[in-house]
Amino acid sequence: MNLSEGRVGNTYKVTGIDLPEKITRRLQMLGMTNGTDILILNRKYSGAIIIKIRGTRFALGKAFSEGIMVKEDRAK
Amino acid sequence: MDDKILNVAFAGNPNCGKTTLFNAFTGAKLKVANWPGVTVEKKEGTAHYHDYTYKMVDLPGIYSMTSYTMEEKLSREYILEDEVDVIVDVADASSLERNLYLTIQLIELGKPVVMALNMMDIVAERGMEIDMHRLPEMLGIPIVPVSARKRTGLSVLLHAIAHHKDKPMDRVEHHHSKGMHIHSHHDEYAMVYSDEIEDIIDLISARLMEKFPDMKNYRWHSIKFLENDKDIIEKYSIDTSDIIKKNYESDIINQRYDFIHEIVKEVLVNKEEKSVLTDTIDSVLTHRIWAIPSFLFIMAVVFFLTFTVGDFLKGYFELGLDFVSNAVRTGLDYMHIGNVMTSLIVDGIISGVGGILTFLPNIFILFLALAFLEDSGYMSRVAYVMDGIMRKIGLSGRAFIPMLLGFGCSVPAVMASRALEDKEDRIKTILVTPYMSCSARLPIYVLMSQLFFGNKAMIAAYSMYVIGAVIAVLTEFIISKIYKTDPKENNLLIELPEYKTPNARTIAIYVWDKVKDYLSKAGTTIFVASIILWFLLNFGMDGMTGDMSTSFAAAIGKKAEILLRPAGLGHWQIVVALISGIAAKEVVVSSMSVLFGVGNIASAEGMSLLSQQLTALGFGAINAYSMMLFCLLYIPCAATIAVIKRETGSWKYTLISIIMQVGTAWVVSTLFYQIARLFV
Repeated sequence: MNLSEGRVGNTYKVTGIDLPEKITRRLQMLGMTNGTDILILNRKYSGAIIIKIRGTRFALGKAFSEGIMVKEDRAK
Repeated sequence: MDDKILNVAFAGNPNCGKTTLFNAFTGAKLKVANWPGVTVEKKEGTAHYHDYTYKMVDLPGIYSMTSYTMEEKLSREYILEDEVDVIVDVADASSLERNLYLTIQLIELGKPVVMALNMMDIVAERGMEIDMHRLPEMLGIPIVPVSARKRTGLSVLLHAIAHHKDKPMDRVEHHHSKGMHIHSHHDEYAMVYSDEIEDIIDLISARLMEKFPDMKNYRWHSIKFLENDKDIIEKYSIDTSDIIKKNYESDIINQRYDFIHEIVKEVLVNKEEKSVLTDTIDSVLTHRIWAIPSFLFIMAVVFFLTFTVGDFLKGYFELGLDFVSNAVRTGLDYMHIGNVMTSLIVDGIISGVGGILTFLPNIFILFLALAFLEDSGYMSRVAYVMDGIMRKIGLSGRAFIPMLLGFGCSVPAVMASRALEDKEDRIKTILVTPYMSCSARLPIYVLMSQLFFGNKAMIAAYSMYVIGAVIAVLTEFIISKIYKTDPKENNLLIELPEYKTPNARTIAIYVWDKVKDYLSKAGTTIFVASIILWFLLNFGMDGMTGDMSTSFAAAIGKKAEILLRPAGLGHWQIVVALISGIAAKEVVVSSMSVLFGVGNIASAEGMSLLSQQLTALGFGAINAYSMMLFCLLYIPCAATIAVIKRETGSWKYTLISIIMQVGTAWVVSTLFYQIARLFV
């Protein structure tokens, strides 16, 4: 699944990023490496979301969140 | 007093409190300039401690040291090539994990690094603790806890900088040896990569050493080769194709974060992430329904403060200006100074430059409000809240702010485009902001619609606001269609920092800096522009003239009237009035009264007299509406042109903006006039 399909309040683990190289690198440098936990804090009707990753909140547009592959974190 | 000089560069993530810390050292005496060739701000200042003078440079806020953005490139080139003695890495202790990523890269640059660990108070509030013994041991650099807001730890930091200036690294106490085969020199480095990568680093370093014996930091350059960094590879051409078989950038990022994770696990005690306040505020301000009403309410307050309160103060400024110009005129008369000189000083310089001063209350209040929103952390949320709507016309969510402020006055609105982080977005926004109908255009609408539209006057005047906004949106829409951007390339990605109480000192310095900037930079342009306009309106072939109809402006008007004939504005008086409107839009009204010889244009008799004269020229209701459209869209006033030049930093965009606006004005009013003529 990708991050845009996630539910608000749930935590997911990053499994991969399928976006242009430059964007992928930027996201990785911000800490979105494989296995990192992402908590979805909020979502708008337009599909933009607010996430928390490594203690920092980010707002992400729909096109980006659709390119972030995640799996459900069963530990939570 | 022959102090030893230390060059210190401040580096850190955006929102880590770096600027607040920098300001705490330098006070308002900082010097703001641009980095050579780009419109990224460079802040410089000095501090003294014991027998050292610290020359400090505040680098732009960055997340990493790659060459993807202008800010990152500037920062690393400055650190590598300039005389930087010590790097101060400002890190936000409350999001240590992400901040350490830059720290690791700064350490790799090979210059002495001192970490200023900011926001320790927030960490304490959350019941967390950071092991201040273990953290410096793992990174190999001294770490000084500071609070930029409470101004604590400042001298300790200066002391640490002085002590550390000649020592790139302390000994690193590694937790365990990383690789299978130990590389002899790894004790010197905090960040040790996998065997595969370390082996390649050694191979490339050897090759670089051979070809570039003077290079400063082989390890860092080798890592850049592994990261496939275009700038470095171009600059130092060596063949690495036999060593580097793939792009290691992703592996390198992952390994750095693995190391960071290891650090955080060890040094962060009571890792608890409660940030109740931010979550509570965000539950309203970014709520899927309440977010937009809350934003509009906040903007309404900003608008009210800037324009209602600002204009109230502006009134007093204008009274003061009248007083000064009258006094000067009397004084000059008394001294028997010639008419030309008196007119130049009073009508040209004082009214032109004074016009700039009257904008001061608006600009001051606007920047106070914007600084408050920025420093509190709300500004980033605006990007999220307005993203969906603005993205449709190819702009980032924050572009809404300058466009809305444009309804008040184009000058502060254009300046507010600084809230946009992307340069392209900034220029696109600046280009259309003047289409939003500013308050100075209202007197023109009022006069024209009262003359020709009777009881529909209100509707005619209001329609201008709607048309201006529609044209701004349409223009952006067209631009976004021409310069298509892939949503997978260009999409919302922004950090939302924790909310905090804005810092008075940071705000004061920010506002003072903007006001100073406006006065000096915009002021000089307006000064020149007002002298040119004064000359055109007051001089003719026979020298100075009291009669505007014999001035150069009138001569231009008579030549140019043919150009405006298709728009129904082909009368030289109208053309001259429009030219004079470049000084300030409201001047169109007073010029009309002078040109048509009408004494009090606002009175009933004045209006009927003007109406008679215009009718005699064949100037009717559709001409009037065409003129309103033209005034709405054509060149913004001289002050706006000056700030457009200032903000874009380019004559090219300033010219494009002027041509585009005059063009739009001509096309729209001509279209309207020609179509309307068919029906009337």
